[in-house]
Amino acid sequence: MSTTTISIPSIKDVPQGRLGVWVLIAGELIIFGGLIACYILYRLRYPEWGEQAAHTSTPLGALNTIVLLTSSFTVVMSHTASIKKQLNKIVLWMSATIGLGLMFLVVKSIEYTNEISHGFTLTSPSLVAKGESVGANFWSFYYLATGLHALHVIVGMLILFIVMMGARKGKNLHRVELGGMYWHMVDIIWIFLFPLLYLAK
Amino acid sequence: MKIFPDNISTYGQEIDDLFYLILIFVSIAFLISIIALLIPLFRKREKAAYFTGDKWVHLKWVALPLTLLAISDFIILAKEHGTWARIEEQIPQADVHIGIIGRQWNWVFVYPGQDNELNTSDDIVVDEQNSELHVPVNKNIVIDIRAKDVLHTVTIPVLRFKQMAIPGRTIMKWFQATKPGKYEIQCSEICGLLHSRMRNFLAVEDENDYKKFLSELYQQNKQLENSLVSSK
Amino acid sequence: MNHTKQNFWTKYVFATDHKVIGKQYIITGLIMALVGGYLSYVFRMQLAYPGQSIPLYGDMGPQQYNAFITLHGMIMFFWFAMPILLAGFGNLFIPLMIGTDDMAFPTVNMISFWIFFVSTIVLMVSFFLPGGAAAGGWTMYPPLSITAHQPTFWGSFFTGQTFLLLAVALEFVSMLMGGINFLTTTINKRAPGMTAFRLPIYVWFANLAGIIFMFSVGPLIAGAFMMLLDINMGTGFYDPYRGGDPILFQHLFWFFGHPEVYVLLLPSLGVTAEIISTFSRKPIFAYKTIIYMALIASVLSVIVWAHHQFISGIDPRMATFFSVGTILISIPFAAIILSYLATLWGGSIRLKMPMIWTIAGIGSFLIGGLTGLFLGSDTFDIYAHDTYFVIAHFHYVLIPVVIFGTFAAIYYWYPKYFGRMLNEKIGKIHFWLTFLSFHAFAFPLFFSGLQGEHRRIADYSSFDSLMTLPIQHIRIISTIATIILISSQLLLIINVFWSYRKGKVAGRNPWEANTLEWQTDSPPQHGNFEVYPEVYRGAYEYSLPDRTEDFYPQNEK
Repeated sequence: MSTTTISIPSIKDVPQGRLGVWVLIAGELIIFGGLIACYILYRLRYPEWGEQAAHTSTPLGALNTIVLLTSSFTVVMSHTASIKKQLNKIVLWMSATIGLGLMFLVVKSIEYTNEISHGFTLTSPSLVAKGESVGANFWSFYYLATGLHALHVIVGMLILFIVMMGARKGKNLHRVELGGMYWHMVDIIWIFLFPLLYLAK
Repeated sequence: MKIFPDNISTYGQEIDDLFYLILIFVSIAFLISIIALLIPLFRKREKAAYFTGDKWVHLKWVALPLTLLAISDFIILAKEHGTWARIEEQIPQADVHIGIIGRQWNWVFVYPGQDNELNTSDDIVVDEQNSELHVPVNKNIVIDIRAKDVLHTVTIPVLRFKQMAIPGRTIMKWFQATKPGKYEIQCSEICGLLHSRMRNFLAVEDENDYKKFLSELYQQNKQLENSLVSSK
Repeated sequence: MNHTKQNFWTKYVFATDHKVIGKQYIITGLIMALVGGYLSYVFRMQLAYPGQSIPLYGDMGPQQYNAFITLHGMIMFFWFAMPILLAGFGNLFIPLMIGTDDMAFPTVNMISFWIFFVSTIVLMVSFFLPGGAAAGGWTMYPPLSITAHQPTFWGSFFTGQTFLLLAVALEFVSMLMGGINFLTTTINKRAPGMTAFRLPIYVWFANLAGIIFMFSVGPLIAGAFMMLLDINMGTGFYDPYRGGDPILFQHLFWFFGHPEVYVLLLPSLGVTAEIISTFSRKPIFAYKTIIYMALIASVLSVIVWAHHQFISGIDPRMATFFSVGTILISIPFAAIILSYLATLWGGSIRLKMPMIWTIAGIGSFLIGGLTGLFLGSDTFDIYAHDTYFVIAHFHYVLIPVVIFGTFAAIYYWYPKYFGRMLNEKIGKIHFWLTFLSFHAFAFPLFFSGLQGEHRRIADYSSFDSLMTLPIQHIRIISTIATIILISSQLLLIINVFWSYRKGKVAGRNPWEANTLEWQTDSPPQHGNFEVYPEVYRGAYEYSLPDRTEDFYPQNEK
């Protein structure tokens, strides 16, 4: 068992992490792709299914869209900083991104509170009682899709936080880009969810 | 031993024929390939021939059987599409319109009432273990297939008839039986604990017997209604 | 890379070495295969002798019967075939075949095995839950899978179906992480000179399988989430009376379920390619055509799923499209098989154990593949759907692919990873017992299926037409053959342990093969190669006319 350090010759030099994250993103997008396919099938089967989208708050959704788009910008800035190896700026832009993620979650929970207080919950018993069980299913779907997305936001924030703690000491700067890629994916999923759940009535 | 059970439906023979057609193609393909697989094993060679198969001279030996396969695929598809369209895509004019509902764990039969129309208030529902679905022979029977609780599949092998019953949907299928008799109706989609006890019968009868059955059914139903009214 | 000293835990348990992880996957998979085999023994006995007490089990009720067929399917697919053919062999072979030291992300690799291991435990625990294991069929069609569970006093969470869904979800996560590793490793860590068209076919096919898996499993993961919510939170995603749709799950399931067969088929065909070329001493016939055909088949595989639903209420006009797709998919696979046959043609064939298994595998798979034409035709499927014809068909596909493929690979690569050859004599007895009993078990089922025997029935005594004599005889023959099939695997276990101590020492390259894994020590050291190889030619340069030796290793100048 040798303990020598040798560099292993290989054919290509794409940064390994970037490749891995790309594949990961592809896998994640397909999970949400499946959800969107379900959305389409539900709407095709029950025309009244989508009408419930009128009860989601478009202004708050739009606000969240802007928040996430801004966070995409800040995460790009932190990447730029990481190329220039400006550690302070990385920390600055990263914490801005995490802050925006937090803001997204706050707005989202305000929305959830509003909706739950109007009786739109995961199972919406009040809608079922009114005989609008199809609408109740829309809300189940809404909570599933946005909940799964919010989970990704939280995971993304955790990843960015870990990356930031490393980058603060100048370690693993290439991870800034990887975290950013993941964060962009979280944004893109929202860009799909927003029109489907808020605008398409 | 016969390959298939007896066929008593008008379209069953077409399905059997399709089987034999595919069987011919498949057997030829199998024989050729298995011979090509076994011959080299019995031919001893000191040194193997060297060819990579990238040139047409060699590649044609793969391309040729592939073309034959594609042609037989095409013939199968052409044959089967016509049959499929006749059986599944068009529902002929109904002589008798009845309903079958799958529930855990027997088949429920719905006969139209005296207005002779299904899905009206005077429908007669027979929900019993081992009950028989009575249909007249040589008539177009159109069936509305529903399910009450979970998925079931109406299977009547002698008719070559099979359709899944799905809660929340009504699926319309048809058949025409050509031979009187009593046959099994099976459920072939797993539907819980007593799936293997889910069996009813199809009773194919000639016109007169069927009419007699219907009038008895109406009679019984009336008695039942009367008894219900009087008990109130 | 720094390969530091290891203690017992980091070397054998929480190992990051791809070879150890590969073996862990394979051992877990083989143990689960025994569990799945035991289940099949129990329910086959119930079918042959309904109502009688079963040796080594006891009395069987319909609930256990349903649970056992469900879990037999699940285990054989996701806890035997997937971990062995894809994760196990992929881990063992990919880094060695492309000439590198390890996977791209060794830690991720280790985590993905342990997630898989946890999924195995979750699955096994589900047998012992108060309500029994999941009993809705391996396809888990709702509403049955949602309503059939009997909640225990802990609520609906501690039921077989929830545990099954959790186990499957964990398994998918593990395999997805594995897939990320495979792709990254193959794209990034190939030895210098190892161009795309010099890769061994196994590497191509394992990666294609990984890609198909990733592209098809996502919707089912979403669907499994929805089912979990339906069971545990009372939503109605699949409840037709609350705005849901049971057919939706069927689409999500088969969008994954059909490509899944190719996820298993491709690695096994990859193993076949390696072995058939080595033991015919000939280049693989039409290497590039094989790759292109596999690509075409992969693309087609995700658009044929609804042929599992011909009679389940999809629009009959839609069925035609899927029927055409399904029958067309026979063409690329036929091209691959024909290329293998052409590889044999004119070869100097060495009939060693790996080759015997491979040839038996191709021959038997032909039956499975060709009977697919019957079922792919939507019209005949009206009759054959859900009968034993289907069961016979997919056992003829999966047993040659999964079991014969695995055995071929075990006999071929065992010397590489344990340094000693497996015994050929025990091997031959093991082969003939397995091969004959497999055919005796599966082939008669075609006939009982054509007689109209439908599947997933615990006890046929309700059906007079199915209790007639030839069918009942078939059940008994099939059951006896199953018992022989399972018990003859003992020979393999004996062979593996006996040869580990007493087998002939293998040396580096016992089969005189070309691929890179044979150009290092057996077993390979940690880090795989003393000198990292450079590649000068394709993987299948056998019997070159102007060379005295009939093989030409990829890294030889």
